[in-house]
Amino acid sequence: MDDRILIEARGITKTFPGVRALDNVDFELRAGETHILLGENGAGKSTLMKILSGAYSPDEGEVSIDGQRVELFDPRVAQRMGVSIIYQEFNLIPYMDVAQNIFLGRFPMKCGLLDHKKMHADAEALLRSLNMHVDTHAMIVDLTTAEQQMVEVAKALSIKSKILIMDEPTSSLSERETEQLFSTIRKLNSQGIGIIYISHRLQEIQEVGDRITVLRDGQFVGRKAIHEVTVDDLVGMMVGHSVKEMFERDPQPPGAEFLRVENLSNGKRLHNISISLHSGEIVGLAGLVGSGRTDLARAVFGVDAYASGQVYLFGKPISSQSASVMVEQGVSLLPEDRKNHGLALILPVAENIVVSSLDRLFPRLFVSKDKERSVAMQYVEQLRIATPSTSRLAQYLSGGNQQKVVLAKWLCTKAKIFIFDEPTRGIDVGAKAEIHAFMNQLVKEGAAVLMISSELPEIIGMSDRIYVMREGRIVAEIPHAEATQERIIEFAMGADEARKTPRQAGTIRTRTSV
Amino acid sequence: MKPNTSSLLISVPSAAWVILVMMTVFTAINPRYFTLDNVVNIILQNAVLLILALGATLVILSEGIDLSLGSVLTLSGVTCVYVMKRLMESGSSDASAMIAGVMVGLLTGTLMGTITGGLVSIGGMPSFIASLGMMGVGGALALVLANSTAIYISNPIFSFFGEKLDKFIDLPLMQYLSMPTFIAVFVFSLVWVMLYHTPFGRCIVAIGGNESGARLSGVNTILWKWMVYVVAGVLAAISGITLAARLEAADSIVGVGWEFDAIAAAILGGTSFARGKGGIGGTVLGVLVIGVTRNGLNVIGVPSLWQPALTGTIIILAIVFEVILSRWKEGRR
Repeated sequence: MDDRILIEARGITKTFPGVRALDNVDFELRAGETHILLGENGAGKSTLMKILSGAYSPDEGEVSIDGQRVELFDPRVAQRMGVSIIYQEFNLIPYMDVAQNIFLGRFPMKCGLLDHKKMHADAEALLRSLNMHVDTHAMIVDLTTAEQQMVEVAKALSIKSKILIMDEPTSSLSERETEQLFSTIRKLNSQGIGIIYISHRLQEIQEVGDRITVLRDGQFVGRKAIHEVTVDDLVGMMVGHSVKEMFERDPQPPGAEFLRVENLSNGKRLHNISISLHSGEIVGLAGLVGSGRTDLARAVFGVDAYASGQVYLFGKPISSQSASVMVEQGVSLLPEDRKNHGLALILPVAENIVVSSLDRLFPRLFVSKDKERSVAMQYVEQLRIATPSTSRLAQYLSGGNQQKVVLAKWLCTKAKIFIFDEPTRGIDVGAKAEIHAFMNQLVKEGAAVLMISSELPEIIGMSDRIYVMREGRIVAEIPHAEATQERIIEFAMGADEARKTPRQAGTIRTRTSV
Repeated sequence: MKPNTSSLLISVPSAAWVILVMMTVFTAINPRYFTLDNVVNIILQNAVLLILALGATLVILSEGIDLSLGSVLTLSGVTCVYVMKRLMESGSSDASAMIAGVMVGLLTGTLMGTITGGLVSIGGMPSFIASLGMMGVGGALALVLANSTAIYISNPIFSFFGEKLDKFIDLPLMQYLSMPTFIAVFVFSLVWVMLYHTPFGRCIVAIGGNESGARLSGVNTILWKWMVYVVAGVLAAISGITLAARLEAADSIVGVGWEFDAIAAAILGGTSFARGKGGIGGTVLGVLVIGVTRNGLNVIGVPSLWQPALTGTIIILAIVFEVILSRWKEGRR
């Protein structure tokens, strides 16, 4: 690593409607270093990464490459200046071979036709220089994820990139493939290439990184050399001491077991999950985005199939994995993406509310508009949904009121088990408090609530118990009294393992092990 | 991998199995089916469809669809013959009238493709809608120009391009060779080179496979997407002109339904509506599935009213078979 600065961002601010994604953030990358970008969900990592690679332009602040101020208004411009980004979703062409993918857009030509021979020779040489062993004639669809990633890296190098941004590059790699990636990264570093590395895994951060920049709520928290910081420091930097929100909790004595999941696996994102949920309980499900929380909710609700495991409702094993059976039995799911999965935006409020209860409300086949309206009105009043009438289309309601309509839909089915997936995301403070109050009301009346949330204060503030997920597994169960943001983050990011199994002696110093 | 029965099954495309099975069945019912004469006949009858299906395949590889190809085929044939006939009536020689007619026919196809492609790539219109509109426009223009009937043409030089060679060359075996087949083979080779050996061809597959990825790799997706429809239009024009030469007439409704045969042939050949999967090699087999079926139903004496129903059923079954086989192949990866 030398001290030359490859790319520098200063005072970057970026606002989206309703959110300040980045607020006066600084970043720098030196030649030959791997610089970790760390932060919780929504801390602003992806926004910063998109600004550096030209996908977004900042509202304020400037970016310079090799000391020159630049305007990266387009990813292709950024690429020409030497910045390449490797997203989790690769930008490869599935039914084209490796060599053609590497040279797409810049094919070597001979006599007006593609020079396949030179293309394969060049691709081969490039891959070999990186110690990568991939057949250049293989189609992308026939490669493993790790191999596809190597092709992406080779492609970036073929256009002489000096700055490589990698977004959670190990998220779908095996241990061995991860090792291989790390050795490639070190090789690239030794050639003077700078790497911006986004990851949640504290363990690997310590192994691969040189320096680290931490973001929190869109703000720059600090920049440190990896060997100066401990796992606890990092957790502390990420969590910070944000303003305490007030959560009205109204704990109920837990009653009968409503929902039990035993050893559920789907062979992909969920491994051996066991949880339980009782009447009168609010149980939080914490974890990073991609840890499998939503997959679990969808599997339990019966919309996604699972390979093994058993779900029990009210003490009895369920007969089939089907969402309609679950709804009949009183289970409800308030999905994360309420606009697409929770509501029919172009239908009126009333139709949205009764849509899951048509059989119960109208056993005689025909829908009575009067009854529909009166039933809907009852929930509009009960939940204080701000709408001029029940015939208002759902799309014209605010986020908070839309969420209340989704809730009304499930109340209308007389559901007993409520699975809330990010119930208050994108909802203003007032409506948020109301939704929390309804949750308390629900459990007071004997229902059971499972709440997925990325907002730790919400999880801690509302839940009687908290399950933490990491990489498709339940890694901890924490009672309300013992829950702190630090503890949840540590489990969610694998800090416990980062401490327990230091991969490289000397690079990790933690308070517990020193 | 050791060669075994399952790897053999993988390397042979599903359409080839379908052809094999059907030819066996038809031959069992009527041994007259499997004669050299009849096989040559099948190839001649389907040369025109192959040219059209190549265009359909290119469009589908780019993740689009072109429903106007049948209309373009009709319209190009009509404009070609119309101009040729007018010139001959006003005293032009057979050769110069033919050249002018063919040029106008090709130009017609180019123009239609340019409009469809422009609507899709610059206008951002779904290809289904844009080409459905152009299907109507092309079909109506052909009807108007040909006065809702067929224009007959008697131009020996033009007719040569639709005939078997024994009519012109007095050598043995010439009855087995025909100009439409030559044209189809020649066009197929050109499209092959274009698809696998030029940046344009690779960009078609890239756009179909991952459009945003292609754009980020510096591929001019707007231009190439446009050009796919232009090329498909030109190919439709070539097939329309060849068909007119073979029939010695341009019929104003001759191409109705051909776009669906062309699309079906591409799909039967393993080209997929998503992700740029497939290629033109399979399309040849797809065309043969359709050709072998039609011809076979005739030879075994199925009443002509029932033939479309049976052809449709066989196409559906063949596609189901192709889907099952390709899922099974993916599962083995």
